[in-house]
Amino acid sequence: MRTFCFRKSSRVLVILSAAAAIMQIGILTFVPDAALAHGERNQEPFLRMRTAHFYDVKWSTNEIPVNGEIVVTGKFRLFPIWPVNLPLPEAAFLGNGTPGPVLARTESYINGVPAIQSTKLELNRDYEFKTVLKGRVPGHHHVHPMINVMGAGPLLGPGNWLTVTGNESDFKLPIKTLSGETIDNLETWGLGRVFFWHGLWVAIAIVWLVWWLRRPLLLPRFRALTEKGGDRSQLVTSTDRLFGAGLLVATILIVFFGFQATDAAYPRTVPLQGSRATVEPLPEVPEQVKVVVNKSNYDVPGRSLRMNVTLTNNGSTPAQLGEFLTSNQRFINHEVSQAMATVDPSYPKELLPPNGLKVSDSRPLKPGETKTVDIEAADAAWETERLSSLINDPDNTLGGLLFFYDEHGKRTISNVSGPMVPVFTDPDNRTAENPKGGAG
Amino acid sequence: MQGGTSVRLYGLEWPKESARISRVFDLLVAAILFLAVSGAFHLHYMLTAGDWDMWIDWKDRQWWVTLTPIMAITFPAALQYVFWTKFRLPIAATFAVVCLLFGQWINRYFGFHLWSYFPMSEVIPALLIPGALVLDVALLLTGNFLFTAMSGAFAFALLFYPTNWFWLAPYRLPVEVMGQLVSVGDYISYAFTRTALPEYIRLIERGTLRTFGGHSAIIASFFSAFVSILMYLAWWHIGMLLARVVTTPNTLKNFMGLTDKDEPAETAQKAIDGTSLQGRFVAAE
Repeated sequence: MRTFCFRKSSRVLVILSAAAAIMQIGILTFVPDAALAHGERNQEPFLRMRTAHFYDVKWSTNEIPVNGEIVVTGKFRLFPIWPVNLPLPEAAFLGNGTPGPVLARTESYINGVPAIQSTKLELNRDYEFKTVLKGRVPGHHHVHPMINVMGAGPLLGPGNWLTVTGNESDFKLPIKTLSGETIDNLETWGLGRVFFWHGLWVAIAIVWLVWWLRRPLLLPRFRALTEKGGDRSQLVTSTDRLFGAGLLVATILIVFFGFQATDAAYPRTVPLQGSRATVEPLPEVPEQVKVVVNKSNYDVPGRSLRMNVTLTNNGSTPAQLGEFLTSNQRFINHEVSQAMATVDPSYPKELLPPNGLKVSDSRPLKPGETKTVDIEAADAAWETERLSSLINDPDNTLGGLLFFYDEHGKRTISNVSGPMVPVFTDPDNRTAENPKGGAG
Repeated sequence: MQGGTSVRLYGLEWPKESARISRVFDLLVAAILFLAVSGAFHLHYMLTAGDWDMWIDWKDRQWWVTLTPIMAITFPAALQYVFWTKFRLPIAATFAVVCLLFGQWINRYFGFHLWSYFPMSEVIPALLIPGALVLDVALLLTGNFLFTAMSGAFAFALLFYPTNWFWLAPYRLPVEVMGQLVSVGDYISYAFTRTALPEYIRLIERGTLRTFGGHSAIIASFFSAFVSILMYLAWWHIGMLLARVVTTPNTLKNFMGLTDKDEPAETAQKAIDGTSLQGRFVAAE
């Protein structure tokens, strides 16, 4: 009977093990082996709509070999209606959103100032950036420009897919130090010294451990300490003390002379550099067209943002509304040729909603003219980019940039912001009782 | 016990078979303890001094030097209580930091280098072994935790910076990048980017420590040494507390017919009623 039970239970174990193995193989087979982006869609919509707006972003190429260079350039504006729950950009850093250091950053600038240190940025001002990246790990990588703001976290610009080809082992990042040393590759610099010193001290530590471990350890020593007749003098002998004292002297001597020798080998060193850079924003350009949001709705079933806005042209030239930019999504007004001309054919398609921007009156706004128009940005991107979750945010104020163009293609930028009211019902009034919609 | 069937270990008679089994037990416990301390100490250390230990551009002369020994002396102190008072073994500190170093190298090589593409030059762990050896020898020679704290724990922190300077110096050579002066370590971390760990987030010396001569590492080391003494004492006592075996009496044993015949019925009844609070937790020591 007992044998039977054992056989039965072992059979169950075999079945369970087989099931676990099949599940594991399935997971390994069907789950993608690499993350395809950086979770930018998981950032709250108010964060993406009202912090850093990147525009004019260009990637010099989409494919580079290992050690090849790609230059990412563009501009960003820090939105004036900054979320109240985020600290102001007192300390910001130009980063690059990549899946780990698959590219090596060799240079980066904000308004021409080297961006190796953090800097303070101003709201409602524009900055130009440039980042030079070098191919390192072969693969297909999603690359974003990015601004890190202290307390607010990473604010991602538009992402583009970049292919790095070649062999990772060919990568080199050389540099010459100011004290004359030539470093062939920063990836491996100094590692020989690291391995030597770590190895040496581990070896000494093992000698010390083995000195004690070679003798009976736990129970015999415990009994000797706690029971009558135990000889404590054998637990720690005078030889042990002598060996310990020798080790103590040797340790201090090695540290002392090792330090002296290292100092002699590297007489000119500098501490980590932790200063802050000073970056002036680009010259302020007056807002040509003043935008007042009268009403804005997000149509949930229609996946569409509708705004009723009053535009006033305070400039001296006519202006046409050509683009609405928010959260790296570029809604282009297809009726404005100057706006269409700004779209680079290689620009990531997922950032250009195909329906674009619908404006009830796309005629140029004359100087001094005030006009109220309806704007509609309808696209599945509101869902796929998880921007529609703005309706679940405690701060549901939307934000973005409106780009206006004159007849010569000269562009001016206006901020647009306002509370967003969701519309949960179908625009055609379709309900369960009235499936065809309409007035019923 | 005569005629070759027993051995004498530290003055006590042991049957040969028991001694052999005890040795196997030693090895099993050593292996288990090595992995357990590696995991636990590594977790503690990463949560308290993690970024300083992980990144080459966080190993500054002020915060790294101050915090690392203070946070690293914890497990060695607690283990020293157990190893010394229960077994007279002065190896706890060395054992703990070797375990930590093992965990760190595993983590850096497989987690940071192979998995996340960081070059090894960016993620080298700090060396703590010389300080740990001195801490162990201090306990061996003094046999007293107070003297060990004052001498060994002090030395544990003081030796930290010079020990690590052996390998760190090449990463503090000056280079010019985009017309700016930075150290090699700064540039390595700039080049091999950490997406969510930007420059400003580094807690490093930014010139606020008034040193009267620029030797912030020396001042930081002495401060760290002083605090390490206190940390050592605190964690020695934490080791003492954790080494106590605490049992909870089974208040239901009467109902299961397991009442100890020697135990007075009144005491057992109090335990059942919960009126004897003192009897609820009994330290075996």
